[in-house]
Amino acid sequence: MIYSSLLFIYGFLPVCLLIYRLIPDKHRELALLLMSIVFCAIGGLGYLAVVMLLAALNFAAGIMIDRLRQHSNYSSIPLIFGVVGDLLAMVMFRSGDFTLLTGALGFTDELYPIGIAFMVLSGIGYLADIFYGRIRAESNMVRFGLFMFMFPRIVMGPLLRYGAFRKIMNNRHFSINETGIGFTIFIKGLAKKVIAADSLYMMYSAVRSVDPADLSAVDAWLGSIAYMLCLYFTLSGYSDMGCGLGYCFGLKLPQSFNYPLFTNKVRYFAAKWHIQVVHWFRKYVTRPLSSRTERKWLKKLVFIAAWGAVGCWYTFSISGAVWGILIGSFIMAEGMIHRIRMLNATGVTITFAALALFSPFLSCENIRDSFSWLSAMLGGNKLLADSLTLYLLRYYLVILLISMYASTDLFRNMLMRSGRNRLREAVTAASPVIMIVILAVCTALIAYSGHSDMILMRL
Amino acid sequence: MENKINRITAAVLSAAVIAALVLTTVRAAGGKAADELDAVSFPRPSLSSVVNGEFGRDLGEYFAEHFAGRDMWLGMKAHLEAGVGESIVNGIYISDQRLVDTHTSLRRVELTNADPVNSFASEYDGAVYFVAVPTSAGVYGSTLPEHLANNHEKQQIDRFYEELGSRVRKIDAYNILKPISDNYIYCRSDSKWTSYGAYCVYKTVIQKLVFQPIAYDKYSIRHVFSDYRGDLYDRTRYMKCPDDVLDIYDYSSGAEVLSCLKYDNDGSYHAASVYDLEAAGNGDKYDLYLGKDAPLMKIRTSVSNSRKLLVIKDSFADCFIPFLLQHYSEIAIVSPEYMEGRLKDHIDPDKYEQTLFLFGIDSLSQKGILDLLY
Repeated sequence: MIYSSLLFIYGFLPVCLLIYRLIPDKHRELALLLMSIVFCAIGGLGYLAVVMLLAALNFAAGIMIDRLRQHSNYSSIPLIFGVVGDLLAMVMFRSGDFTLLTGALGFTDELYPIGIAFMVLSGIGYLADIFYGRIRAESNMVRFGLFMFMFPRIVMGPLLRYGAFRKIMNNRHFSINETGIGFTIFIKGLAKKVIAADSLYMMYSAVRSVDPADLSAVDAWLGSIAYMLCLYFTLSGYSDMGCGLGYCFGLKLPQSFNYPLFTNKVRYFAAKWHIQVVHWFRKYVTRPLSSRTERKWLKKLVFIAAWGAVGCWYTFSISGAVWGILIGSFIMAEGMIHRIRMLNATGVTITFAALALFSPFLSCENIRDSFSWLSAMLGGNKLLADSLTLYLLRYYLVILLISMYASTDLFRNMLMRSGRNRLREAVTAASPVIMIVILAVCTALIAYSGHSDMILMRL
Repeated sequence: MENKINRITAAVLSAAVIAALVLTTVRAAGGKAADELDAVSFPRPSLSSVVNGEFGRDLGEYFAEHFAGRDMWLGMKAHLEAGVGESIVNGIYISDQRLVDTHTSLRRVELTNADPVNSFASEYDGAVYFVAVPTSAGVYGSTLPEHLANNHEKQQIDRFYEELGSRVRKIDAYNILKPISDNYIYCRSDSKWTSYGAYCVYKTVIQKLVFQPIAYDKYSIRHVFSDYRGDLYDRTRYMKCPDDVLDIYDYSSGAEVLSCLKYDNDGSYHAASVYDLEAAGNGDKYDLYLGKDAPLMKIRTSVSNSRKLLVIKDSFADCFIPFLLQHYSEIAIVSPEYMEGRLKDHIDPDKYEQTLFLFGIDSLSQKGILDLLY
């Protein structure tokens, strides 16, 4: 089951909210865990088994690290054991080389244990935090279960460090006010996914259906831009939905994206894109490695390599790593030429163009396609535009422009700047109604198949 | 303070909307089961389907199928998407002229379906004919945007025909229909052909079956329904698509139908009619041709040549069969989709000197659809 499905919005969620409302507060964490187990079980008992095993592995490893840390120096053994187990799970399900094994568990090419990439990062971060003494191991299985696979987070919801998660759980506050905020954020995320991302995906797949070696330059650019926007709306849509669901149950989960695409430097993009994930790599990969060296060039290399790891985490392929390395190198280069002053608009254009240029490395399945797509963008196919260009512009221009506007912070800033004037009041007063209209539109858009399960990336 | 009121309104409003939709869905799903037999039934969990998550997916499908105001939502979707300029809704290319399915390029004809036909032909005494009919996407694929356009179905049919052995005579419906695609040979809101399209193919088929076709001007044509909307419309609910006309071709000086019987899988039978106005009036208008689906149907006519024909078919043949009635004293019609067990348990093929297979390309992409022939 996925958040953007009728069964979830009009079946699972209202039932869970009702139950959650009815039971006394002290049992609510357990109830949320049981609901999460049902959520996973609907996705398949195989899925549930994988999720539970992963949680059990990290739970046990965490306790062992904590015990050994106090009495001996052997605490790195369970750490290695846990981290290797986590990574193995990720390799097994994401590399596609273990189809026999995963097939036996009921996973096919179409069926993928969603959220496993996030769970693995959560688990490794948790174990590392205990190892370095930042936190104590969790002895409450319910809490830890919620940390690993709580249903408002499991489908690409915000990644959390255990310390932050514990604070959120301790400040749990379930009220109609929070539920209102939750619904608003959830519907915003749903709209991002169902309205923007799905339309952009149609546009992208129109370009994708052409062999990259025959692609005209304009088509390649349009395809790349559509992909980049689609990726943003998919990932931020799911994380908003997760965040909103958290609020519905009184958990103040953080948001993951802060309008990253239209910034005047790639460095700012990096700071606003998938904040917790990028932060995770900084905390658990970049910092520990670069603290071991004093040499500047080595530090830079570590920085770039860590971005390669981020890219690799997204696609689980070499081309994803290339994307990360490109982003990392670009940020480095920006740091070197920071004295050059340029207009804001120029900066935004350069950043967006760079992101579009790099995106074939995220979108294509193999590196050869990525390079031929890139060469098409640079005019290597000696074709500027063709009939597909006209088709794309005719049918998708409106969607493209609207979604580009929606991915900027212009509207939010306009409201902020307008202060206490009429526009802001009107928007605030109308917001619940606007929200219901958007919910209706989203419902209409998923009514045919009952869900919108395009996830673009297997995370 | 203002914000708080707003949030509470938001919470109450969305909870109310969700609750209203949930309650109507539950009520509708409870009440519908009795009168709508075709609707997706509640999925039965099995060990494997629960383990691999298929049960969850079926549950989602069931929920969507019974969702409150489903048709209204679908119509809203089509007009919203068309409104912002999109041309493909639920995988269907929409235009004011016709709807064209774009998913067909993903569909592969199951070449293994040729094996049962070959084995049937090798054991069978009479002559075997095969007509694979393209869907409207095959004939009108060229009206699609270039990156979707294909003559895919033509290649699929050719590939399938190559798999059929020499004992099976193949009839090329694609090249009959494609050149006359300016005529009203396919429904505009359905993937199936019209009676006129069927007639055009009939002219060639009946000559192969060694008869003279009846000339077009001998028929008097009745427009029974002029507001038919087919499966492609059901998938999009795009109102601007033109309605279709369902015709009956009467040949008044020709042979009459003496009896028309429909057999169930248990061998019981009941009287039926070639044109079933009652069934068409109650549900799917396309049921006009041959009525509701049945595994086996036998039609006797006043033709006195004692020739018998066995037709093995899918829904494409429904409006095709009436044209054949003028040439045979008995026609048996088998729908493998609805027949349980093996063909030989229901009928002896050797009593019929000719066998005609008539399938739309979409049925041929279903695995094992012809396995009952073994």
